[in-house]
Amino acid sequence: MRFPARPATIPPTLPEWDPAWSRIIDAETSDGTHSFHVLDTLAALRAEGCEPSGTILALHGNPTWSYLWRHLARATVEAAAPGSDGTPSTRVWRVIAPDQLDMGFSERLGHESLPKPHGPEVRRISQRIDDFDSVVRTLLAETDGSHPVVTIGHDWGGVLSLGWAARNTDLVSASISLNTAVHQPDDAPIPAPLRATLAGPMLPTATVLTDWFLRVTLRLGDLDPEIRDAFRAPYATPSHRHGVGGFVADIPVDDRHPSHPELQRIGADIAALDHPALLVWGPKDPVFLERYLRDLRQRLPQADIHRFEQGSHLVSEDFDVSGVVIDWLAAQFPPEHPPQALPTAPSAADARPTAGDARPITAILDARRDDDGIASVDFSHTPPQQISWRRLWHVTTSIAHGLTELGVRPGDRVSMLVPPGNNLTAALYACLKIGAVAVVADAGLGPRGMTRATTSADPQWIIGELPGLGLARAFNWPGRRISVTPLGAVQRRLFAVETSLTELARTEHRGQLPAVEPDADAAILFTSGSTGPAKGVRYTHSDISALAAVLTRAFHVGEGTGLVAGFPPFALLGPAIGASSVTPDMSVTRPKTLTATAIADAVIAGRATMVFASPAAYRNVADTASALTAEQRAACARVELVLSAGAPVPLDLMDSIAEVFPAASIHSPYGMTEGLLLTDIDRDEVDRATGSTTTVAGEARPNLGVCVGRPIDGVELALAEIDDTGTPSQTLLRGPQARGRLGELVVSAAHIKAGYDRLWHTTAQSARDDLDGRQWHRTNDIGHIDDDGRVWLEGRLQHVVTTPRGPVGPGALEALIDEDPQVSRSAVVGIGPRGTQALVAVLDAEGTDLSPGLAPLNLSARLRAQVAQRDGHDLSAVLVAPSFPTDIRHNSKIDRSRLAVWADHVLAGGSVRRRV
Amino acid sequence: MKITVTGASGLLGSSVARALVSAGHSVTTLQRRPSGVENARDVLGTVADPASVAEAVNGAEAIVHLAAKVSLTGDPREFEAVNVGGTRTLVYGAQTAGVSRLVHISSPSVAHTGASIIGDGAGPASTERARGEYARTKAAGELIALGADSDAFRVLVLRPHLMWGPGDAQLTERIIERARTGRMPVLGAGTALVDTLFVDNAVEAIVAALDAVDTVHGESLVVTNGQPRPIGELMSRIAIAGGAGEPRLRIPVRAALTAGSVVEKVWDLGEHDDEPPLTRFLAEQLSTAHWFDQRRTQEVLQWRPRVSIEDGLEILRAHCSG
Repeated sequence: MRFPARPATIPPTLPEWDPAWSRIIDAETSDGTHSFHVLDTLAALRAEGCEPSGTILALHGNPTWSYLWRHLARATVEAAAPGSDGTPSTRVWRVIAPDQLDMGFSERLGHESLPKPHGPEVRRISQRIDDFDSVVRTLLAETDGSHPVVTIGHDWGGVLSLGWAARNTDLVSASISLNTAVHQPDDAPIPAPLRATLAGPMLPTATVLTDWFLRVTLRLGDLDPEIRDAFRAPYATPSHRHGVGGFVADIPVDDRHPSHPELQRIGADIAALDHPALLVWGPKDPVFLERYLRDLRQRLPQADIHRFEQGSHLVSEDFDVSGVVIDWLAAQFPPEHPPQALPTAPSAADARPTAGDARPITAILDARRDDDGIASVDFSHTPPQQISWRRLWHVTTSIAHGLTELGVRPGDRVSMLVPPGNNLTAALYACLKIGAVAVVADAGLGPRGMTRATTSADPQWIIGELPGLGLARAFNWPGRRISVTPLGAVQRRLFAVETSLTELARTEHRGQLPAVEPDADAAILFTSGSTGPAKGVRYTHSDISALAAVLTRAFHVGEGTGLVAGFPPFALLGPAIGASSVTPDMSVTRPKTLTATAIADAVIAGRATMVFASPAAYRNVADTASALTAEQRAACARVELVLSAGAPVPLDLMDSIAEVFPAASIHSPYGMTEGLLLTDIDRDEVDRATGSTTTVAGEARPNLGVCVGRPIDGVELALAEIDDTGTPSQTLLRGPQARGRLGELVVSAAHIKAGYDRLWHTTAQSARDDLDGRQWHRTNDIGHIDDDGRVWLEGRLQHVVTTPRGPVGPGALEALIDEDPQVSRSAVVGIGPRGTQALVAVLDAEGTDLSPGLAPLNLSARLRAQVAQRDGHDLSAVLVAPSFPTDIRHNSKIDRSRLAVWADHVLAGGSVRRRV
Repeated sequence: MKITVTGASGLLGSSVARALVSAGHSVTTLQRRPSGVENARDVLGTVADPASVAEAVNGAEAIVHLAAKVSLTGDPREFEAVNVGGTRTLVYGAQTAGVSRLVHISSPSVAHTGASIIGDGAGPASTERARGEYARTKAAGELIALGADSDAFRVLVLRPHLMWGPGDAQLTERIIERARTGRMPVLGAGTALVDTLFVDNAVEAIVAALDAVDTVHGESLVVTNGQPRPIGELMSRIAIAGGAGEPRLRIPVRAALTAGSVVEKVWDLGEHDDEPPLTRFLAEQLSTAHWFDQRRTQEVLQWRPRVSIEDGLEILRAHCSG
């Protein structure tokens, strides 16, 4: 079969494509002059009166073309448009994206036969890099050459552009890649879809003679039909598709392939690249799997990473990759005229206050190595297992040595699939001693959530008990396996377990353990995932030291205190603060399994004066208090401090808790995975806050929402006011200025997160403020600060309702509605376009005699009157939903977004769906 | 100011004329029957008659054009004559007489395609998309009025949506009457969110438009209370305010849409005047969401609905109980 040569052409009219971007240039290549179609925004920029001050060189893969970069082209041209003072607010980036030869609208070379891996008809990687070099050098010569040049690539364009960048470090200042693969690991099979295509005789049929490969690839993104057609436009007939097959034929499947040596060289060159790099990844890609990202991370350890957890191969079609790229470039290459709010690189922003009283996490444990006092009591064992400080020091040190001998290195990530108790404490502190990073994906995320979380954290090691190891095996989690207790030979093989904590604890102490830097990562914790996939939150050693210090300072818990820890994150801090910690007999994932008897026994065993658990656990403790013996009651009466975290504590529950712990002060701190202790309120303050008002425009307005008290010592609190479109301001308010306004809460403290894990953009967005030169965290929680400086939560940022009268925090009205005796719980949602939404109250049918649909007339009239009178807003409708969707971890965070979708359907005149 | 009001024998027209008189304006009305508005000069005739129009607009500085054939069924020629021909005659007469302001009263149905309206703006009138003779001819009339807009002849179009209140025979009294006799259809689950307009607010919006037209013209604005409510709930509340019990009858939406004639019978039981049976159009109106973005309307008119729906229901209750 012959394939005729034809020169490059200009694309037809296509959606989202500006014809002004298209140009055709001739370039000198290794086999003569060829014509290329190039996406180039230079003309478009100059039409806006802008001259480039930076260039992005973009290279597509197979079987896409420069159409892949249309969003980046448009976004950079729009960002370059001059502001009110006539100067661009950011650097002006020119995008140059050539179509490769035989691809897109570039020249079709003449071919005498169909492509074959070892055939002469295939344009090789090395030639393609030379082609790229020739085109971009020609075009770069058109502008002043002193400005930064950045490469970006996707698919095989990723490898090629990285390889070219590595060989032109004098020219290139930074590199970006989307899903790609540098290297085919020798021990891993080629991904299934490619294997099918590459199976010898199938190759021409799959890629050239039919459009199978084209169709399959274009399904790896949620593309509109007309966009899909645009991608297919240059590949209409077999005579246009030789390059698609040629590209596949040039993938070096084994070391006999002609391009294998070149790919090896490229891989080595990339590993020598030390300029800034960004990897943007869609993990659902069936071809470019996690292991290729891992390989790239190792070659480019300096790289920032941003994962779009739901993204697939065509990640830039489904997610705003251009936005990430532009913000990242702005952070790397600040413009000559800096705009007010510049996204800061997470690594550069270490202006957090340090806690003066912080010590290394393992300092107290080391200091008490000869202390026979009780360090930890674990009621999950029968009889309860009690260990001394001396024993804990010895065991953790032995395990640390054992892990080191096994090959665990500082910075290695260790997934902990061990429930709280002595085993987890031992494993955790052993890891902390050698700088290994604990990855804690709790069972509250569910098997799928845990799998996604663990896969994204990509641990080198897993320490687990049987159910966890089974999950790891079933879902093919990464990491070498270590069990807690020794397993039999069969199970050992089944779960691929190499050793156990028990065996490691017998290791002799030989040599020095590695020193750990305070800035090194210590732990990755996960958010509950109630507003999207759970995010990994990074904590460094100094962050956790600061957390331990704040716990000691704020609640006077420290050396010598006995602490009953029924709340997972804090169950781990005992050895760091020098408290004797007791793990009560309960299931961590089901807080309601904590009984009064269990907590009393734990108090007795640890001589505890402090108890820490969640509201659901306390509810059950209060409900089972009648079973307490006189001795148990007496022990509970000695408790001085009761802490409740995880969700707000209603006053009636606080009173019930007070009956069990009559001498204790009852506190409910507010925090989140990104900042575990932010504000605090005690029972008396809850009482005072009830019925209080805040002055708004000279008028006393009732405080609505959930009062979480005042910032804990060391926590700075600010507010980003929310505008009519529901968007929080870039400017932060503090002190009296911040009071009485609805806003996003923004916090700064020594113990807040270091960043989100492998979510560069999310980290930069959440830490974008630089007030006072501090590092801040945008909490995504909304609310207001009252006249007395107390914080009132009113929901999540994405749940703000934007009525024509202004933005409304749903939590405020819910608090009001929930006071009605006919209501068990409610969710307030907005229906309709932003800025003119109708306000709707949805009530939970469960636990009431209400039936799904419109609420009874008298109830809706009453609630509407309440809302109008207390808050001035107009409630359009009151609906009753069959059930309320909530998060798995806390079973308390209501998914208002899903209820809004349900309500939207009902109020559009649809049926009252039975499922929300 | 000298103001001519057409169609002042209806509830809205006479109320507007009365409000203008009491605000000290010199008011002329044009309609077939006497308006009953004290201190207004009645010209008896129709807007389709150039001579009547000429007499009514002579010397006027502004016109409020309310006259229309309002019905959901009827002879297409009649709709055409009044809503299209009448508007054309009036606009021509007004321009000839040197009138400089026209507030043209239209209907949201001129831009209604049968789909849900969820917080939308007014949208352009379209004779192709509007459904039914009334909507189609009102769309044509609105386009004629807007087409005449210029700096010398300023036109502002208001589209009140589902007006109700004491004295309203079209919607309010029908709902009450049917609920009282147990013949009230509530379509589907009655949950479709619908905007309505209390009559007093409609009057005040039109009065406000006479000022607003000096600065903003050539534009159409939907006017509502800005308080969307589930249709079933609002109809029930109107029925209760009128002294009837809470209605019970439910008709599935699909049945209403596919068997319009049957539903017409249900809606129209015992009624033999020429007023609205439940056509397919009305079935859609009452079973899909119809509520609007009021920000532009309130900004242009510098007007806020003074009477809330709840207050309006209370006024209706007081009115009906004597």
